[in-house]
Amino acid sequence: MAASSWLLLCLLRGAIAAASGSDDPSPPQICSGCCAGSVRNSSAVAAFCGAREGAEVLGRCCLEREAVVGLDLGNCSLHQLCPSFQEASTASVIDLTNNPLDHLPEDVFRGFTQLQTLALPAELDCPGGNNIWDNVTTQGSSRICHSQRNPCNGSGGYGWLCPEDSICAPDGPGLHLCLCEGPYHGYKCLRQGTFPYPMFYGTLGAVTTSLSILLWVTQRRKVKTS
Amino acid sequence: MPGSLRRPPANRVLVSQFTHHHVAVFLLTFFSYSLLHASRKTFSNVKVSISSQWTPSDLNDTALKLQPYELWNSSHLFPNTGEATLFLGTLDTIFLFSYAVGLFVSGIVGDRLNMRLVLSFGMCSSALVVFVFGTVSEWLHFYHKWFYCCLWIVNGLLQSTGWPCVVAVMGKWFGKAGRGFVFGLWSACASVGNILGAFLASSVLQYGYEYAFLVTASVQFAGGVIVFFGLVTSPKEVGLPEAGEEGDGVGAAEEDVSEPLMGGSDNYDEDDQNYTVQTADPSSIPQPKAIGFFQACCLPGVMLYSLAYACLKLVNYSFFFWLPFYLSSNFGWKEAEADRLSIWYDVGGIVGGTIQGLISDMLQKRAPVLAISLILAVGSLFGYSRSPNNKVINAVIMAVTGKRSTSPSSMLSAAEQCMVGRENSMKKEEKVSFVCSASLDGLSTLECVVFLFQYLVSLIQEKLGWMWVFYFFILMTSSTVLFITPLIVREISALLRERPALRLAG
Repeated sequence: MAASSWLLLCLLRGAIAAASGSDDPSPPQICSGCCAGSVRNSSAVAAFCGAREGAEVLGRCCLEREAVVGLDLGNCSLHQLCPSFQEASTASVIDLTNNPLDHLPEDVFRGFTQLQTLALPAELDCPGGNNIWDNVTTQGSSRICHSQRNPCNGSGGYGWLCPEDSICAPDGPGLHLCLCEGPYHGYKCLRQGTFPYPMFYGTLGAVTTSLSILLWVTQRRKVKTS
Repeated sequence: MPGSLRRPPANRVLVSQFTHHHVAVFLLTFFSYSLLHASRKTFSNVKVSISSQWTPSDLNDTALKLQPYELWNSSHLFPNTGEATLFLGTLDTIFLFSYAVGLFVSGIVGDRLNMRLVLSFGMCSSALVVFVFGTVSEWLHFYHKWFYCCLWIVNGLLQSTGWPCVVAVMGKWFGKAGRGFVFGLWSACASVGNILGAFLASSVLQYGYEYAFLVTASVQFAGGVIVFFGLVTSPKEVGLPEAGEEGDGVGAAEEDVSEPLMGGSDNYDEDDQNYTVQTADPSSIPQPKAIGFFQACCLPGVMLYSLAYACLKLVNYSFFFWLPFYLSSNFGWKEAEADRLSIWYDVGGIVGGTIQGLISDMLQKRAPVLAISLILAVGSLFGYSRSPNNKVINAVIMAVTGKRSTSPSSMLSAAEQCMVGRENSMKKEEKVSFVCSASLDGLSTLECVVFLFQYLVSLIQEKLGWMWVFYFFILMTSSTVLFITPLIVREISALLRERPALRLAG
């Protein structure tokens, strides 16, 4: 039961994501609601989008089949990221330079598994630490974090953190999920397989019925009800 | 010792008189009580899983919370495993309390209503309660402390209908004379129930702890249905004569049924007495005068025996409730494996009980055997606390410990009745059993203190660790030896005095 509800939750989430990604005709909020204008020509996003087949610029985003693959929020006077930032979790390139951002919460890039190039104001460190990126460069007032590593691989050193019966899955720069492995499921991956209802109740029912009949016939049939 | 010398022929006569009804009644009552015990045991078999279900994953490092949240940290009934363990100890205590209260109530109810219906109702309804407690609450993700407590109180009350009924039915069919042999065999029902419970729980635990409850509850429910259709509560119902008094009350009391691990022998005696009064010649039996609890306490031997019994009982209860949990949390073994391993404790208990019964029957005295096996129990407890992280070695030491600490308990309960009775009987057999039941009433009050100690076990474990729990057990077993020392001395001196008389008689 726990398993099924958990599965349902996952499906629901997937359905919602799919709905907002493909069926919804309106472009993602993050493309226009967060910062006015369009992708800047100087941004890495513009170059990325131009080089990519089938991608088009819409507002601050580079969209490919309705999914955000690039996001340029440069020079938007942002002190903190917009609430709709999660919509860009499919992005490969994100530009946040020239913003007075003071601090990025640790979980802000959760789910950003595709992210390959992240440009930040130079004051900020790459999310998850420099070790989690293949290449970190500083150009003038911006810092570019390039090519995130898989936190579950031995080099990141996070692989062992998952409890028994679960495996590590990458979930953004320096972030990981622990998902149930193989046959395990349910809360804390404690459960395995499904209970054989038909077999159990079939056997139990048959045994109970036959024993009841047998005992009734041999024992209680002749009992006088007083 | 006139009773024990007169007794032997009765057994053989009765065995030849057994019909298929006797066999059916024996098996039905045996398995009814086994199933009740099995469902009780289930709770102790799933403690690790259930406390894991009630708590978030506790990684000390708050920066690295396990994700996704729903999978690892969404359950917040208790902040950590320690508090969940304390709550599990509380549930055990609650269960035992309501079970003890229920024994008094259902003994009275069982006398007035049809015992078949009471037993069948008790089994089916307590199966339903267990089902709601373990399975429905998990399916609905409804975790609530008071809900669990209330259900466990109801379960204790309903479960308590079982013991007085099965014992009364057994009494009606097998009487007192056949008891030594038949009841000796029958008293393995609690241990068989433990084994059955552990086996059922461990084989479905992989699907989730709720299925352990589901399976034992379903099987118990089925047992209740079978009892409803199959149990003949009295030989009169099928036109057979009811098993009569064979007139050797003392001897029978000596060979009395060993009380199962969690049974209350008090009601057994109460029922017996009603039955005795009904069937025996009314003119020869004077109504015994009631004596109070405090008067019973003042009788020589009662207090000492009760204390000894309580100490030993505490250790047994603790093993019953905590053994799989200990194995799983201390050695890090999978819970299903720990459950399967804990079966060896009960196997040891059955084997030990049989061997000890044989030896003491041969010696005709219990106390010396008791003392030796208690001293060995202390040793094996110490050995068990040092058991290495190896399943085979652990299982062997566990069986030895079970052998040493379960069997003296059942023996003590049986021995107590005759000892205390003999001290005060002044030849009147009826009075023997009466004084016994009075002392056992006091005993069950003492048992309430033992229940409180269940909570103490979880507390000691939480604060000081498992090693101290074992030291506590060793202390308890040692005090048992201490309490029965005067009685042993007396019995041995009596043995020495009676030897010449026995030889003359033989």
